[in-house]
Amino acid sequence: MANKKNLILTILLLIGCFALAWYVNFETDSYIRRVVNLCMVYAIIGLSMNLTNGFTGQFSLGQAGFMAIGAYVVGIFTVPVALRPAVFYAAPMNPLIADIYMPLWLALIVGGLLAALVAFLIGTPVLRLRGDYLAVATLGFSEIIRIVITNAQTITNGALGIKDIPPLNDVRYIFVFTAVIFIFITALINSSYGRAFKAIREDEIAAEAMGIDLFKHKCLAFMISAFFAGIGGGLYGALLGTVDPKNFLFTLTYNFLLIIVLGGMGSITGSMIGAVLVTAGLEFLRVFDEPLDLFGMAIPLFRPGFRMVIFSVLLMVLVLFWRHGIMGTREFTWDKFIAFCKNPFGFFGRKGARKA
Amino acid sequence: MKKILSVLLASTFAVGMLAGCGGEKKDAAKSDVIKIGVFEPLTGDNAAGGELELRGIKLANKLHPEVLGKKVELVIADNKSDKAEAASVAARLIEKDKVKVIIGTYGSSLAMAAGNIVKENKIPAIGTSCTNPQVTANNDYYFRACFIDPFQGTVMANYAYKNGARKVAIIQEVSNDYAVGLAKFFKEAFVKLTGSPDSVIEVANYQTGDKDFSAILTNIKAKNPDAVFAPGNFTESALLIKQARQLGLNVPFLGGDTWETQEFIDVGGKDVEGASLSTAFDREKATTEEAKKFLDAYVKEYKGEPSALTALAYDAYLIAIDGIKRAGTTTDSVKIRDAIAQTKDLETVTGKTTLDKNGDAIKAAIIKTVKDGKFKYLDFVDVK
Repeated sequence: MANKKNLILTILLLIGCFALAWYVNFETDSYIRRVVNLCMVYAIIGLSMNLTNGFTGQFSLGQAGFMAIGAYVVGIFTVPVALRPAVFYAAPMNPLIADIYMPLWLALIVGGLLAALVAFLIGTPVLRLRGDYLAVATLGFSEIIRIVITNAQTITNGALGIKDIPPLNDVRYIFVFTAVIFIFITALINSSYGRAFKAIREDEIAAEAMGIDLFKHKCLAFMISAFFAGIGGGLYGALLGTVDPKNFLFTLTYNFLLIIVLGGMGSITGSMIGAVLVTAGLEFLRVFDEPLDLFGMAIPLFRPGFRMVIFSVLLMVLVLFWRHGIMGTREFTWDKFIAFCKNPFGFFGRKGARKA
Repeated sequence: MKKILSVLLASTFAVGMLAGCGGEKKDAAKSDVIKIGVFEPLTGDNAAGGELELRGIKLANKLHPEVLGKKVELVIADNKSDKAEAASVAARLIEKDKVKVIIGTYGSSLAMAAGNIVKENKIPAIGTSCTNPQVTANNDYYFRACFIDPFQGTVMANYAYKNGARKVAIIQEVSNDYAVGLAKFFKEAFVKLTGSPDSVIEVANYQTGDKDFSAILTNIKAKNPDAVFAPGNFTESALLIKQARQLGLNVPFLGGDTWETQEFIDVGGKDVEGASLSTAFDREKATTEEAKKFLDAYVKEYKGEPSALTALAYDAYLIAIDGIKRAGTTTDSVKIRDAIAQTKDLETVTGKTTLDKNGDAIKAAIIKTVKDGKFKYLDFVDVK
């Protein structure tokens, strides 16, 4: 009974969000649309990263590499054939792929699948490593992808990058992708596979003793994560309309690491909240970059770059006081939400009491 | 502790809100203002370049504060050297600040990320030093104040040929779009000049951040070139030349405008003496009225020598102002775009500026060389 109610509420919320996406798409300006789109794309990639790092407990830093694969598949195949000679002005495109055109949705899925395949290939040897060693190996892998892309001039246009990807600025399109991925990952985490992932995170030896095939599950989580990172990367490329190898420096991965640490490692809703906070929050803080006149006096602190200082301070505060991120490993649930609505002050009091 | 913190947090956001509101009220009061958006990388990897360009734009705004009787207000925004931010901030300038023209940015990939936004919203944008041809290609709303990579590569090829080089080697920073563009057009032009595809004896690659070039250099030395064209980042290039001298490769090195920084000389020291490069601006060739004004103002404000980036950014502002003046409107951005597209013989710091049909500036290139630890004017290549 309670489950059914929760399901209905979730469906209602999704419909409500879709209506909101519809509203944002037609009633707001392109700035808001862009920020909303970016939030959703970052949420997808954050979710995908959380699957390996948060739920399976494998500290992987290869996300930028998987994104690059997805983004480049979109970049290479969705640029209209007529515009390609202008883009590949330095060296003509390889004739094998010069005439292949794909619609965006197909390119996204192909990009995701390719990323998953690459994840399988590198996951096989690399996932035997643990902890820091895995992080270093995956980081190195994402750099390899970037350097391959830089040097494959006739396929990727090398350092010159690809321009004229048909612009995607439809909030509904990205929303549908985000919602489907969100539902899929929620279902996955609540399935037997998800429980196996969490068991691996908690204690690998105990999990193995319980009959969980460690390697198979780690590899599965890694591939699914790469698949969604590929789709997220593709959407990112389409949103910007241009891709180049410098986009996918390893520093990009840290953006998403920040999102999942902030939201909570091992929390799906946490990743969503983290993505929105980091992306929209940085945009909100832009007011600190603008000159501010207070009582006729210009405050010299308010100059471009100041918002980054504020952002860093806020981050430090968050990490100091919410050591496990905003959500920790908890999830947003309707039961808690209703309890909160019924008695907002008591809700926090109760939590405090429990902690003590 | 928690209490103090929450108060602090709350006040941060309150100030944020206040600042936001304050800005809007100001707008309503002033309708005799035209806003020009400036988006530059003021934080992140490219902050140094962004800062130099911002100087030029601010200086230009100081000397030309009005157009059509309206005050020009610069709205400066930071794109964090990040493509996603560049796109968002361009949208923000257009939607929230309602700018009519955008100036920026350093870094071609950042400009390309904003390309779709300005096109969609029909707001003209003028690039400062983004030299990748793709920035203006297939985009009617993006212009630029600088010359493009093909031109610069061709200029250096001509220069090398004129000075007797018949066999050259190219060493390019393969992860840098700028270097790849220059190298490609250098090669094309040089092969055309000599009439022999073998005149470029080697094209070698290195990655940004590389420190050891001995393998590449040994290989090239064995092939005995007359000169080496090595477009790339200044630190890597200076190291490259240093190592070449150590290996006994004593041929002239040629490069592009990225070399024109003090760091290049600091890192390279004596070894970079005689290295020549192409650039857009030099004091000695600054013959226009505008250039004199610019130089005076620059010395007064910042001291020292202005860089080519600063001069180009100053020019971008002049192109914008000139376009608005000729369009006769401060509200209709499409008319302003049309006027900017027809910019012809505009007197700017880097000579007379004319925009071609792609929206790229046609202007002369200047060749400089390093002498006694300084960049010295060497030659001047006009557009044919």
